[in-house]
Amino acid sequence: MNLYKRISLLFLVIAIAACEDVIDVPVQTAPARLTVEASLDWEKGTAGNNQTVKLSTSTPFFDTTANTAVTGATVTVTNDGDGTQVVFVDRNNGTYTTTEFAPMLGQSYTLDIQYNGETYRANETLNPLTDITEITQSREDGFNEDDLEVRLLFTDPPEEGNNYLFKFQKQGELLPELEVGTDEFINGNEIDWWYEIEEDDETDKIEAFVPGDIVNIEMYSTSEAYNNYLEILIEQIGGVGLFQATPVAVKGNCINTTNPDNFAHGYFRLTQVIRTSYTFE
Amino acid sequence: MLKKSKVPMAKQLLIWGCLLFWGATATAQNSYTLSGTITDQNNGETLFGASVFLKGTTSGVVTNEYGFYSLTAPQGTYTLIISYIGFAEMEKQIVLDRDLKVDFEISEFSTKLEEVVVTADEPERAILRKPEMSVAKMNIATVKRMPVVLGEVDILKSLQMLPGVTNNGEGTGGFHVRGGAQDQNLVLLDEAIIYNTSHMFGFFSVFNADAIKDVKLYKGGIPARFGGRVSSVLDVRQKDGNNKRLSLTGGIGIISSRLTVEAPLFKEKGSFLIAGRRSYADLILKAAGEKNSVGFYDLNLKTNYNINANNKLYLSGYFGRDNFEFGDNFNSGYGNSSGNLRWNHLFSDKLFSNLSLIASKYDYELGFVLEEFDWISSINNYNLKYDLKYYVSDQFKLDFGASGIYYDFDPGQIKPTSDTSAINPLSLDRKKAVESGLYVNAEHKLTDKLTAQYGLRYSMFNRLGGQAMVDYANNQPVVYNAVLGIYERGTEIGETNFEKSESIKRFGNLEPRVSVAYELNEFSSVKAGFSRVAQYIHLLSNTSSATPLDVWTPSGQYIEPQLSNQYAVGYFRNFKNKTYSLEVEAYYKNVDNRIDYIDGSDLIGQNTIETEILNGESRAYGLEFLLRKNEGDFTGWIAYTLSKSEQRTPVGTAGGLGINNGEWYSTPFDRTHDISVSGAYRLNDTWSFSTNLVFQTGRPVTYPNGQYEYEGLSIASYADRNSDRLPAYHRLDLSLNYKPNRRPDKRFKGEWVLGIYNVYGRKNAASISFGQNLETGTNEATRTAIFGIVPSLTYNFKF
Repeated sequence: MNLYKRISLLFLVIAIAACEDVIDVPVQTAPARLTVEASLDWEKGTAGNNQTVKLSTSTPFFDTTANTAVTGATVTVTNDGDGTQVVFVDRNNGTYTTTEFAPMLGQSYTLDIQYNGETYRANETLNPLTDITEITQSREDGFNEDDLEVRLLFTDPPEEGNNYLFKFQKQGELLPELEVGTDEFINGNEIDWWYEIEEDDETDKIEAFVPGDIVNIEMYSTSEAYNNYLEILIEQIGGVGLFQATPVAVKGNCINTTNPDNFAHGYFRLTQVIRTSYTFE
Repeated sequence: MLKKSKVPMAKQLLIWGCLLFWGATATAQNSYTLSGTITDQNNGETLFGASVFLKGTTSGVVTNEYGFYSLTAPQGTYTLIISYIGFAEMEKQIVLDRDLKVDFEISEFSTKLEEVVVTADEPERAILRKPEMSVAKMNIATVKRMPVVLGEVDILKSLQMLPGVTNNGEGTGGFHVRGGAQDQNLVLLDEAIIYNTSHMFGFFSVFNADAIKDVKLYKGGIPARFGGRVSSVLDVRQKDGNNKRLSLTGGIGIISSRLTVEAPLFKEKGSFLIAGRRSYADLILKAAGEKNSVGFYDLNLKTNYNINANNKLYLSGYFGRDNFEFGDNFNSGYGNSSGNLRWNHLFSDKLFSNLSLIASKYDYELGFVLEEFDWISSINNYNLKYDLKYYVSDQFKLDFGASGIYYDFDPGQIKPTSDTSAINPLSLDRKKAVESGLYVNAEHKLTDKLTAQYGLRYSMFNRLGGQAMVDYANNQPVVYNAVLGIYERGTEIGETNFEKSESIKRFGNLEPRVSVAYELNEFSSVKAGFSRVAQYIHLLSNTSSATPLDVWTPSGQYIEPQLSNQYAVGYFRNFKNKTYSLEVEAYYKNVDNRIDYIDGSDLIGQNTIETEILNGESRAYGLEFLLRKNEGDFTGWIAYTLSKSEQRTPVGTAGGLGINNGEWYSTPFDRTHDISVSGAYRLNDTWSFSTNLVFQTGRPVTYPNGQYEYEGLSIASYADRNSDRLPAYHRLDLSLNYKPNRRPDKRFKGEWVLGIYNVYGRKNAASISFGQNLETGTNEATRTAIFGIVPSLTYNFKF
């Protein structure tokens, strides 16, 4: 239940009178940091042995040219229970891959990265994911009752503390959309999670779903810490408006043990994932 | 911090007060007292701040909030001068050979009615001599003449034209005084606390100018009778209602219309006022097929009854509400309501008293039709106040009194609206508290040149039990995770249940208030002041600008009261035969226990607020200039403020360095430069013009300082909190006033007001947000500007 997002959307009324335009703004430039995208996602029904870690560097905010791939790093993931270590192979394009990862539900793992003489370390636990019982579509729900939305039905497990990440991407769109939810207000209930694209009447850049559109859907189980991280990150994607929380630096779980001030962006996550798609009728 | 128990303190105050009485009354022999009420001849409204002087002496007094004055002088024959801004001066011979009770009615300048400008609020000699400083007072006639956005007269926006008062950008509610936060302003409407001053997110204020008599803003030097907010007190008084005849006032605008009815009651022993206002943007939007709608209405009520010469009753009320609808699935509403019963009683011609019984409420609700639940939140308070003013002698006046406020905070409830709702019901803990205060304040004329005002307030706050409080490991609701370098919620180790009869935490604070005025000569004076104020309730807001959904929370186990010390000095001068006046003030204030929020704080639906906040402090200092032209066809002012407002949050026991490494950083209310120019020109009886020009340094904000790739998106990494600024804000407004005054003797008077807000259409950024272009994926900065050029046309009438 993404209450936060929905409440802040209530204030879009300001937009009735407001006008928006793109302008040039001078911003500060921070030194480049290592960015870790270590997303070990175990797709339900697969072995989960093929995994990739992406390493890159941050760049000035408006920079569009820099090659940010990080090569020459050493990446390992260790099972904290039995001590099994998996070494990821440097593909020399910023990705590091393995075919030997062995996912275990409820197990914690440690990520180690050696880069530029500094060690980055992160720890995370793999949580199970409930099944999607049904995917449907409707019009009357959502923010706009004329627009189509896709609806995921699933049952939250009875124990508290389940966290979800959803990734929706309409085929043909450049950018995916992320949503997170926790069972804070809805523990143990049957959940109806919908996703709708609200048409932007002014620019025609954003079109609502129409029959025939295909939306790619991914649903992940996440840890509470990762959920907290994502909540801030998602809240700030696309910019922070008047009635949203003042933007803040988002810190992930990859700690620089050599030089703590030089922390890394990104996250070491372990999830179970369901990947599917839905074609609107 | 819990000081001594309250009983010895009360006793101390009493003894102190008695000593003052004794010292002062000794000088008042062989004198007689002249007292009474000063009212407007036209409608019977009592006048606050009218002055009564004995010609050729330095003896004089200013009427109080209820128009009452009391003046004591040696036996003799005097010429009395009664004056009030915009009113014809009245002279009257008085033989003072016994105590006299005389009521005066004075009348407005007949020809210059609307043109009366902000002159000094009181006759110039009084303003120089009174130690009162850091006060911004506005005449409603002035407010009504200034250009406004969307044609709706707005007291709060007008006040922002004065030095030291700013807003947080267009389309946001509230105001900021001397670098203070919105929740640090005590806003009183007929003494009732108003928690949210805005309609439609700040597009309008809750004050209907037709129902308001006067407005006074204390930016510092807050008198001892007020307490509870560290930055300012905005004291707004409603009209009593015309007790001479039925009168109608109203206006029709593009966005809203209003109507006020006033009439006498009980053979002029009483009167009433009913004022209503409604916006109709919602109706227009609906008619146009728009599913989203927004609207507000409000109602002011007031009635009074003169029981006899010594007793008068007032009953007043305010009710205002905003409603929003977003399609069929979401709706929202919020509003203030208040009621107030007051009893003025004269114990003698020297001792005036007022007893007030006040209730006020603020609430908001959100309806989620689709998810089938409502979210409601409210704050209720009941306030009992007793204020007395003792006019001991010409040299010495004493204010004293007591007040108690009972608060009931309901921070939020989730109520499923159907059995099939996926949402579980939830109630955040209700919080209850009592805030009480005891004060005494003396206005003491030490010599002909030197006047002092000194007082003491003792405030107490008792956070009442009746709820469970979470206990944290090491008593730390927030802990620093040194590994991740972030602040996190502390570990809950259990709960302590407090019975209703128990108190969770008590606080007590002594708040001295002192100011002195020294008259250098006939034209100029210097003043200095110090005030200490405690604030026990706090508005929680981690957003760029406060929203109606922000929640008030009381001090308690984990939240300390805010404490401010403010020092101010000023120079005041009238020149060119009082046509011009100059006011210069410098101030410094610091506030202890100013909270800020941890990164990623989640305040919505949060039962344990203490896990989201960090304790810090703030400070502000500045220099204010105000040059006014008070008389003539051209009137107006130039206001300039140079100031700094910063805070730091070094955290303390939670560990770590704190926000921005524990360094000082700008508060969102910091404005280095703030220039406001307001002018009015009266061409003739039919045509007049007015203009506003505003320039302000941009608001401190947080911008990105880098980007990185994650989940197929470019993620912005943000710089230190408030380390960037929006572009400077500036704008010019014009308004044209046309009075078709063909038959001046007719009672019906109408006028057209054509206004243009933001004449050169500057797109002032209310916010700038950073994100990816949806088609190209490159990062861009998007500016949101609320108002472009906004013309408006309003028709006002009076009958």
